[in-house]
Amino acid sequence: MGDQEKLVIMVTHGPEEPELATIPFAMAGAAVASDVDVVMGFQGDGCLLVKKGVAETVTAPEFAPLGGLLESIVELGGQLLVCSPCVKSRGLSEDDLVEGTEIVAAARFVAEITSATNSLVY
Amino acid sequence: MTTILNETDLSTLTAAKIVDARGAACPGPLLEAKKAMGGISVGDVLELWSSDSQTKNDVAAWAGKVGHEFLGVASTDGYERVFVRRAK
Repeated sequence: MGDQEKLVIMVTHGPEEPELATIPFAMAGAAVASDVDVVMGFQGDGCLLVKKGVAETVTAPEFAPLGGLLESIVELGGQLLVCSPCVKSRGLSEDDLVEGTEIVAAARFVAEITSATNSLVY
Repeated sequence: MTTILNETDLSTLTAAKIVDARGAACPGPLLEAKKAMGGISVGDVLELWSSDSQTKNDVAAWAGKVGHEFLGVASTDGYERVFVRRAK
């Protein structure tokens, strides 16, 4: 591992739980602002948050709207990885996802987490 | 680095850029500060306006981590003006 810090943030809650869906984006936003490499991993209902048009519909009280956070995280270099079986089981394909989202399998998540400075699971 | 100036000293600063993040919730003001910092020169001062009372603490922690100089905060009617000098 080099000197560059990396944070992996796993997201498992979807738009039905706005606060638990938004907190990982708030953390990711603060991390990219702090020059920390950020990888967000979406599993379970969390993968619905990177379906096109969904993030813009999620706002938790007293938090920045999720859509704007997602946009800023990507703008500042954050990576978005989504679980392949989770996407397939929800009838989604790459075309349905926010641009730049990468569909990956378990070993990629393991590689990202084990090479990170730290990881958070929501 | 943190160099806390009093409000009189802060009032003498000329900001290279003012970011109005009033109304934005956590971590919106911080993200706005991050984006704006890239648009000013090393040594210049960024002034961030926020109505979120935690922004000054968030920005102070952020500046300390990334290596900018947190200069202080001035209270204004209904919001705070947070000053940071770009140091790298």
